[in-house]
Amino acid sequence: MSPTRIEVTDLVVRYGEQIAVHGVSFTVGRGEHLTLLGPSGCGKTTTLRAIAGLEQPSAGSIRIDGQAMYDASARRNIPAEQRGVSMVFQSYAVWPHMTVYDNVAYGLRVRKQSAADIKTHVERALDLVQMRHLADRAASKLSGGQQQRVALARAIAFSPTVVLFDEPLSNLDAKLRAEMRVELRELQRRLDITSVYVTHDQEEALAISDRVIVMNVGVIEQIGTPEDIYNRPRSRFVADFVGSANLIKGKVTGQGTFEAEGGAILKTVGGTAGSEVAVRTAYIDMVAQPGDNQLAGHVRQRMFHGDFVQYIVECACGRLIVRRPPVNLLEEGAPVTLSFSPEHTVLLQG
Amino acid sequence: MKPGFNWQPVVSAAVVVVVAFLVLLPIVFLVGESLNVGDSMAFPPREYGIANYIAMFDEDINVLVNTVEIAVMATIMAILIGFTLAWILTRTNVPGRELLERLMELPYYMTPLVGALAWSVIAGPKSGFVNQLWHASGGKGDIVDVYGHFGIAWIMALFEGTVAFVMISASMKSMDPALEESARVMGASKLRTMLTVTLPLVMPGVLGATLFVFAEMLGSFAAALVIGIPARIYVITTAIWDSTLSYPPDYGRASAMGLSLFVVMFGMLTFYRWRITKGSYATITGKAFRPRPMDMGRLTWLLLGVCLLYGALAVVMPLAALIMTSLQRFATVILSQAEWTIANYRTALELGPIRVAIGNSLGLGFGVASVGVVLMALLVWIIYRSRIRGSGAIEYLVMFPQAVPRLVFGLALLWAWLNIPIPIYGTLWLLALAYLTVMLPLGVRTLAGVVLQIDKSLEECARVCGAGWVYQMRTVTLPLLRPGILAAWLLIFMACVRELGASVFLMGPDARVIAPSIVAAFASSGTELTAAMALIQTGTVVLALVILFRLTRGVTKEMT
Repeated sequence: MSPTRIEVTDLVVRYGEQIAVHGVSFTVGRGEHLTLLGPSGCGKTTTLRAIAGLEQPSAGSIRIDGQAMYDASARRNIPAEQRGVSMVFQSYAVWPHMTVYDNVAYGLRVRKQSAADIKTHVERALDLVQMRHLADRAASKLSGGQQQRVALARAIAFSPTVVLFDEPLSNLDAKLRAEMRVELRELQRRLDITSVYVTHDQEEALAISDRVIVMNVGVIEQIGTPEDIYNRPRSRFVADFVGSANLIKGKVTGQGTFEAEGGAILKTVGGTAGSEVAVRTAYIDMVAQPGDNQLAGHVRQRMFHGDFVQYIVECACGRLIVRRPPVNLLEEGAPVTLSFSPEHTVLLQG
Repeated sequence: MKPGFNWQPVVSAAVVVVVAFLVLLPIVFLVGESLNVGDSMAFPPREYGIANYIAMFDEDINVLVNTVEIAVMATIMAILIGFTLAWILTRTNVPGRELLERLMELPYYMTPLVGALAWSVIAGPKSGFVNQLWHASGGKGDIVDVYGHFGIAWIMALFEGTVAFVMISASMKSMDPALEESARVMGASKLRTMLTVTLPLVMPGVLGATLFVFAEMLGSFAAALVIGIPARIYVITTAIWDSTLSYPPDYGRASAMGLSLFVVMFGMLTFYRWRITKGSYATITGKAFRPRPMDMGRLTWLLLGVCLLYGALAVVMPLAALIMTSLQRFATVILSQAEWTIANYRTALELGPIRVAIGNSLGLGFGVASVGVVLMALLVWIIYRSRIRGSGAIEYLVMFPQAVPRLVFGLALLWAWLNIPIPIYGTLWLLALAYLTVMLPLGVRTLAGVVLQIDKSLEECARVCGAGWVYQMRTVTLPLLRPGILAAWLLIFMACVRELGASVFLMGPDARVIAPSIVAAFASSGTELTAAMALIQTGTVVLALVILFRLTRGVTKEMT
């Protein structure tokens, strides 16, 4: 058996004149949890729907377990119902005219399983999402969070090998979303499934994925582990979209050195050419550390956020944002030396 | 899983072909015939020309003048009534507004045909109830006579003008109350707010309704038929009807007039649509607001009186007059002279042709509604969900019969099926086909409302779960559509039972239906029997309506 579950190659999807997905390639390994992350309109949902068979691509190929589901050159496009994948929809798509049980049993009934098997599988799936006590409830009488659980149970009940998630948590309120995130991660671990997850919420993407693909205007910006994406953003877009980062303009002066606007020399990692470095707001210390890059400035504004304090610091290279734990507060106007490790000073491409 | 045969494109293609055949073919025949200047019964025409169109202006100019005159009067009355009632029922605190709003719909369901009969009983010369009372109290001559230009317009306004009320109150309801409130907060008085904010915002809605109603009035048929022909006042619709009755029938002339009417109405409705979609006037944001009703103080009772007066003129008096008439041997309002009897109902239900007509109408209603909803549900799905290329064109095709006056469509079908070598002219089959075609816009619009509310991912999810198209339609789409399908079924059933415009041309001696039979009975038998027939028809429609209201209320409860 090949270690690759899903293989997407040079995928192009058009909506009339508009190109939604512009030559995207990636693979998903067995049991891997991959997230497509990006702002709305970046093509992430379209890519996911193309894998499900709900969107007709115009070029490239999609393979699942080595079998071509879509192949432009072979003029092959397997309809959604024959791809054997499963999907959780953004709107949950829980059928309001059925009970919770009937919703979850749907995929099993389509597959003409015996009544006993259906019962076992439905109950197992409902147990996993702690919804068994509501099995006979009409689906239209469920709260948002409960509908979400039913949608999840339905998606895993027929033991699919691949489950696609289209922003499944985006309609929940913040607190419930955080809870469901934990549960979802737990569920992914327990079931041997491969998942592709779509979200515009970078926190969610970093929290629940083995690997993240950052997309923008139909192309892939960067593929990597959550730590990779956060610590070593490759482009300005990734640095800006994932987490919060300061972008400092300047020019490369040698191998691993960078002259910021205003004259300060910074040691960098990352690419070899570019005109900007990114420094995460959380990685900046306000006490000088030996061996670090250092910038002198003064506090222009302080905002208390509770979990952290945000300072805006005026430096020769521009204004930098610094987030610190809410202790040892500095007053507005106070002089300060910003200090950050060369490891966290990432030269951006282009 | 084993790949099943993909039914979707086959079913879609079949449905599209059927609809194109039903909708476009008759119009093609009609255009051909209107240009026929040789023997008007010859098909295909031997000579082409525009003589039919020229003759219309040469010989029938008074018909065109009548048409415009009556339509203008009817439109002005309908808009005045509609605006007043819409304002009272959406912006003031008159008691029982919801009930009154339902009442406003009733005249429309009673149909202009029944309305015209009723008003001929109420306000006919000499024997009309009002004149009877006038004579009995010693008056000389007639004080009212509905058989005139104004009378025709009056009936059209009362029974077909309801759409003005619906459109104007929709534009009043959709106005964000914050727009008015902010004017008040800025210091504007009630009156100033009304003049500077409310009126300008509602005006486009009123103008739109005016245009729409005027177009409808140009194509109005029933009142002009019942009242106009005895009074020798012809409008374009009755002139079309008349020229098919002459011997030999002048189908060329009728087609030219029908097409001209169609072109004028189509142009006006297109202009209307273009204006409302231009958007600069959009107070309609898609969101329904609950406007804060104004407290009218003591005026409230006056306003309530206005509403009740309308109810009396358009519902209570007509129905009462018809009921009284139908239960007497000779219709009279002077109760001491009345001879009460149920003989009219017995005659209506026992007399062969009438009983057959009632049976046929009910049968056609059941059949067309049942076949229709299936076809229409498929169409709606194809148009809004299937994403096949050209679904926009199909939508246009399906909505097309709406732009064609019923009467003209009936004429087109008549001419088409006289010449298509399938012998269904003069049978119920042609009527069924005609009903199915003219009901397409109604059914598709009703069902589309439901389909568009259904989240697309409900269907997609079924596919991803492994369901094929047929399985998905059966287990997800159709069950979700069920309430909408029932509502559409009842609406189509009602529309079939009251259908007049297309039926008059397509009815044959072996295929009678109720509405044209009522017209025929009015012309040949007594008012009393006609009233009984009209009430039987109205009763059927009202029964269906009651079920519909019950049903939709239950449905909305279930859906929320």
